[in-house]
Amino acid sequence: MKTMKNTFLLMAGAAAIAMTAGLAAAETAYAPLAPLGDPPIPDDNLMTDAKVELGKILFWDPRVGGDASTACVTCHEPDQGWGFNDSLSRGYPGTVHWRNSQTVVNTAYLGQVFWAGSARSLEKQAPSAAKGAVAGNGENDVMETRLAFIPEYRARFKEVFGTEYPLIGDAWAAIAAFERTLIVNDTPVDKYLAGDTSALTEEQVAGMDLFNGKAGCIQCHNGANATDENYYNLGVPPSERWEDDGLAQVTFRYEIYAKGVTQEMYRELKDDPGLYFRTKEKDHMGKFRTAPLRYTMYTAPYMHNGAFWDLREVVEFYNAGGGENDFTDGTMSSTKSDLLKPLGLTDDEIDQLVAFLEGFSGDELRVEPPVLPPYEALASE
Amino acid sequence: MKISRFKSGTATIGAALMCATVLAAPVAADDAALGPVVGPEINEAKAALGKRLFFDVRLSGDAALSCASCHHPDKAFSDGLPLALAYPGSKGFRNTPTLVNTATAANWFHDGRLGTNLNDVTRESITEDYSMNMDMRMMQERIKQDPVYLEMFEAAGYGEPSNGSVRKAIPEYLNTLISKNAPFDTGSMSESAIRGQALFEGKGGCVSCHNGPRLTDDMAYNIGAPNNPEIWSDPMRHMTYAAFAQFMGVENYMNVRRDVGAQIIRNPADRSDVGKFDTPTLRELTYTAPYMHNGMIATLADVVAFYNAGGGDDANKDARIKPLGLSADEQADLVAFLEALSGDPLTGAEYVWEDVIPTNYDAIENWRDVKN
Repeated sequence: MKTMKNTFLLMAGAAAIAMTAGLAAAETAYAPLAPLGDPPIPDDNLMTDAKVELGKILFWDPRVGGDASTACVTCHEPDQGWGFNDSLSRGYPGTVHWRNSQTVVNTAYLGQVFWAGSARSLEKQAPSAAKGAVAGNGENDVMETRLAFIPEYRARFKEVFGTEYPLIGDAWAAIAAFERTLIVNDTPVDKYLAGDTSALTEEQVAGMDLFNGKAGCIQCHNGANATDENYYNLGVPPSERWEDDGLAQVTFRYEIYAKGVTQEMYRELKDDPGLYFRTKEKDHMGKFRTAPLRYTMYTAPYMHNGAFWDLREVVEFYNAGGGENDFTDGTMSSTKSDLLKPLGLTDDEIDQLVAFLEGFSGDELRVEPPVLPPYEALASE
Repeated sequence: MKISRFKSGTATIGAALMCATVLAAPVAADDAALGPVVGPEINEAKAALGKRLFFDVRLSGDAALSCASCHHPDKAFSDGLPLALAYPGSKGFRNTPTLVNTATAANWFHDGRLGTNLNDVTRESITEDYSMNMDMRMMQERIKQDPVYLEMFEAAGYGEPSNGSVRKAIPEYLNTLISKNAPFDTGSMSESAIRGQALFEGKGGCVSCHNGPRLTDDMAYNIGAPNNPEIWSDPMRHMTYAAFAQFMGVENYMNVRRDVGAQIIRNPADRSDVGKFDTPTLRELTYTAPYMHNGMIATLADVVAFYNAGGGDDANKDARIKPLGLSADEQADLVAFLEALSGDPLTGAEYVWEDVIPTNYDAIENWRDVKN
């Protein structure tokens, strides 16, 4: 059976990696790909229909932001894979973002959100996005007070959270609950892994074998969500926008300034150090969280800065053994993952891998946009 | 004026100590004397930089507003509206005050909540979410992307652009906004205005609060100015006020239906500071209608009539606000005096940055090879 064969290959691969990387054998037992199943629901933010509906309206509401122009949906557009189909995300007016907008689909399964994992839950991600200067640029007091002047929100928050006036923390909880409904877990790969051998084409099955074997993708893209949620430097080249786009240069400097680095680092950095911002460990420079591979048919371009425009380009990048950036060549550090080596995949094999990756996407997820409720004057007590 | 003893660009520890001593001393009698406003000495390069910054929309979060969006030079740097505009998504709840002579004020904003210096006023105005909503780190990086600013910061002696020097350069520009050629200062008042001054200092009692060169004691009082109902009937204005009140720690802020004014400063338990607002300057009034902290009084004649009637109704009203018994002619004379406190408009290239300021950003060509 396929599963047996995959497991065998995995073990063999794991042993080889363990030797080269000097890791303990126990850490290299990759979780196999598996059907996604239902997402975990946190005990302190249980799902109700009313909460999800409230979260959906808030997701679309630009008043949850600085100048009432920028909602969650502004950078996470349903018809752009619930992301934004440009290399760098659209930013708050007057800015551009500095990273690629990631899909919201299936984020319910992630333990670490944002490219460098700076939020540990969807409840923590939402305020960071709503308040960041290149995203929502909102302030808690203004956003919370706006909700109080919208009678429909007062009624909905009261029903869901029992408050007289909406609290901004509850808004993040409701948005997170809505996001946990954005699930695609019935892809051809899910069906195949659940036993429906007709769900994948022969080409896709061959691609899966490469994924688990010769191409070694499974070393990081493992488990049901195809990510180990660990951090690696692949040598993705720096964004070209930082070379020739003044607005992107402004944001780049802003980010390294605002996230807090030494004066020397502020002067020298020309690429996104990723995980370094969180840990301030030089060994973490240029590392980003392994991206889940689900829904990727709809979420081009790829990588933390949108360096690659289609899945074939991504596979070719890995086939070449990854790339070079300021954190691989010693300019700032040398942290490129040892796991990356030229793969020697043929053109046909690359096609097979791409076909398999496409089997991870399923049907496009669309929802009916909500109607945004209006402001109304607040009567005296 | 005491502030005129500050010498820009020649500050030393000794000078700073002297200033501190002067400011800490009891208010001398001559401070209350009426007379021309004398501004600080100006550093031209710093003031020119501050002028460009004042008119640059890139100093607001979404690049929609500059300082000049609400402070129009031809209206003595007010805006002609009862209630101010605000950052998009908010609406103002107070009247935009003039910035003429603001360099010599002792505290700022209608509630007087900043009593330090224009550096803090600049920071507050740029960063406050309902005014310009700017992350000053982003502002710094925007400015660093503009070659014109790189030269101007250098010429001003600030070196590399920083948000700290923005908060010095804009005040230096504000230092240039000083009343010019008011009939009161040039000795060219009409007979009516001269009679009005006598009433101002005598029967009208105005001078007890409106004194000194700017005709304000920079203290807060309750005169019973009428509530502006639009703040509470327009949900966006009400929302903006409620967010402000929440941030300022106003008790039960969702149920407040009047602007509490200076209450936020000392926050006395008996709420006796509710409805107190800073005495406004009386200079440049002909440009700055409508009047009061919430723009509720349209003309100077109406303002005088309001005081003549003993102000408005308020439990906390200052005891000195009483019916004045001024005749119609006396009221007209008072208005004539108030009008004589307005000078030449501070417009034209000396006060206004007239060149186009770009709103986009050229790329730094050799970006990888230069230090950030």
